[in-house]
Amino acid sequence: MISIKNLIKRYDDLLALDHLDLEVGKGVIFGLLGPNGAGKTTLVSILNGLTSFQEGEIEVFGLPLSKEITAIRQRTAFIPQSLALYENLSVIENLRFFAGIQKITGATLRHNLDYAISVNRLQPMLEQKAATLSGGQKRRLNIAIGLLNNPELLYFDEPTVGIDPDGRNEILETIRSFKNDAKTVIYTSHYMPEIEKICDEVAIIDRGRIIRQGLLETLLQEERADSVVIELLHADETQLLGLAQRYEDVEVINAVTLVMHRQNSAKMGMLLNALEAESVAIKQISYGTTNLEALFIRLTSSGVSDV
Amino acid sequence: MFKAMLIKEFILVLRDKHALAALFIMPAIFILIMSLALKETFDSERALLKYAVVDLDQSAQSAKIRTFLAENRVMQERPVTIVDDADCKMALSGDLHFVLTIPKGFAENYALEEPVGDLLLLSAAADVRPEMLTLFKSEVVTSVMQLRFEKMKAELSPFLPDVAISQLEALDFNGEDIVKVRFDAMQADEKPTSTQQSVPSWIVFGMFFIIIPMSTIFINERRQNTLMRLSAMNISVPALFAGKIVPYIVINQIQVWLMIVVGIFIVPLFGADALTLGDSLAGLVLVSLGLSLAAVGTSILIAVTAATVEQATTVGGIINILLGAIGGIMVPKFYMPQAMQEFANLSPMSWGLEGFLDILLRGLGPEAVITEFLALAGFGAGLLLVAGIVFSHKIRRGI
Repeated sequence: MISIKNLIKRYDDLLALDHLDLEVGKGVIFGLLGPNGAGKTTLVSILNGLTSFQEGEIEVFGLPLSKEITAIRQRTAFIPQSLALYENLSVIENLRFFAGIQKITGATLRHNLDYAISVNRLQPMLEQKAATLSGGQKRRLNIAIGLLNNPELLYFDEPTVGIDPDGRNEILETIRSFKNDAKTVIYTSHYMPEIEKICDEVAIIDRGRIIRQGLLETLLQEERADSVVIELLHADETQLLGLAQRYEDVEVINAVTLVMHRQNSAKMGMLLNALEAESVAIKQISYGTTNLEALFIRLTSSGVSDV
Repeated sequence: MFKAMLIKEFILVLRDKHALAALFIMPAIFILIMSLALKETFDSERALLKYAVVDLDQSAQSAKIRTFLAENRVMQERPVTIVDDADCKMALSGDLHFVLTIPKGFAENYALEEPVGDLLLLSAAADVRPEMLTLFKSEVVTSVMQLRFEKMKAELSPFLPDVAISQLEALDFNGEDIVKVRFDAMQADEKPTSTQQSVPSWIVFGMFFIIIPMSTIFINERRQNTLMRLSAMNISVPALFAGKIVPYIVINQIQVWLMIVVGIFIVPLFGADALTLGDSLAGLVLVSLGLSLAAVGTSILIAVTAATVEQATTVGGIINILLGAIGGIMVPKFYMPQAMQEFANLSPMSWGLEGFLDILLRGLGPEAVITEFLALAGFGAGLLLVAGIVFSHKIRRGI
């Protein structure tokens, strides 16, 4: 579905994407994770033809992106993080406008409108002005607009920002349901539990490169039992760095997180004693990377602040 | 696609009460207020000679003299009460140029070969220039001559054959038949009425107020990534711009004709002169289309370059007022010194206003406003081109 080889994108002196390679298969819900500035948005923008790139090859649906962007766009949808809709138009007016500019008419329009409305449960509020909708309803309308061309591939950029847990779950269920319709989804988010909940595959991007990619379950299994994450109540980062220098395989993630790689009981005991001697209180010890968040923390040096 | 953009833009403007007020109510109120406020000024400015009449005779003949003088557009009778010489002097020390006294007995005296006493008495202000005195005096003399001619015609009619009477009637006083005056553009005695000046001025000013709704909608679209979404839906920059240009040209045209209706039908209800349309509908359409292009170009450039709605409305408002002040909207150009009048020509509002005045005041045809149309259209197209370049660059940078 998507094939990216050796992609390079520079903003003046800043290397945003650094020889990035990525493969996404058909019909998967694909999570794209990374800290702020890692290159997620740039990558999604390039894939939507909104940003140019300097080097590399991209194919979507087997078509070269740089030459066939118009044809590719007709089969894809981009659902931005912000509510890219018109607050002063009603729900149905918004849908009709975005369908109209994509030249969707007749039976196709009726079919696609019905699909977008039913999947997002917008029927009761069709005549309501978008400005009067709740945060979750607006998000659903935002998604519905993306479904009007019945896309095979959807890009979601943090679609659940700023809504309550119920609304978030509804949206996640909607996105998950796209799998049944054989749609492919590229999903970027900072919420690790969301990615875990809906994604089949994950790629972690950091400093413009994909540093890990694979099936979520496989990634977690590979990382499991290989490391220990120690979360602290409070500590001084300098103090922790001093400790890390004394112990091989101990990495300071941030002021309250340490990871010990290739752990064994003896080394673990010594580390815990040292922490106690330094009066550093321990909040939690996780044996093995048991969830995506821990994996993310371990793989990205600045991860926690973006989680 | 285009239809969808047109409908969307119309709905958004129609639901924006502030935009509607700025586009339609504000210029209508300006037209009304300025037409009424400047009525006296414009009327008196048109009259070069201001005079009062002391009619001691109160006869049909003295009334005819007054009527004759009042018909002259360069003269204006002022209602001043003058009882004695002191009143007369006081009046002449003000803005009156002359006081014409019609003595008692004028009706019996005016046709006599040798009138008894003074037939008419003309008092002139100290600062009256000789040519003004000559002009006024000749008008007064002509009015008396006309009275005498009418009397003679009436007395001779019973004794003359019809042919002779018709020949006499052919000699009747009608200055227009003898000398046909063609006024050059805004001669001193052909300044616009307050309505003729106000309607085009505030139409032009109001048309440029599309900056506010257009930039507000455009910047919100940009801020909420709606434009990015539209780009991802294969909408090109020219298509995006066309989707803005056409609706606002239509809105501008609605403004123009609505304001003309206000000038023709509403303003007179409040006592000011009604707007009179020239003979060239095509000329009006041409000027208003040119103005639309200029206004839309300015609006889109501001919308594209401004970072926030606040910035766009502030900058847009200031530009509007500056263009209006320079371009003769707020202060008519004929009040400006020569240097300022030349400076005024830099403002597209001035080009539009001149175009409207060519049609509405000077009665010219579409050929007279082609230069203004081309200048306005060129100005608008230039700004649209710059806006397109800036916007494309911004899109490449991620909007």
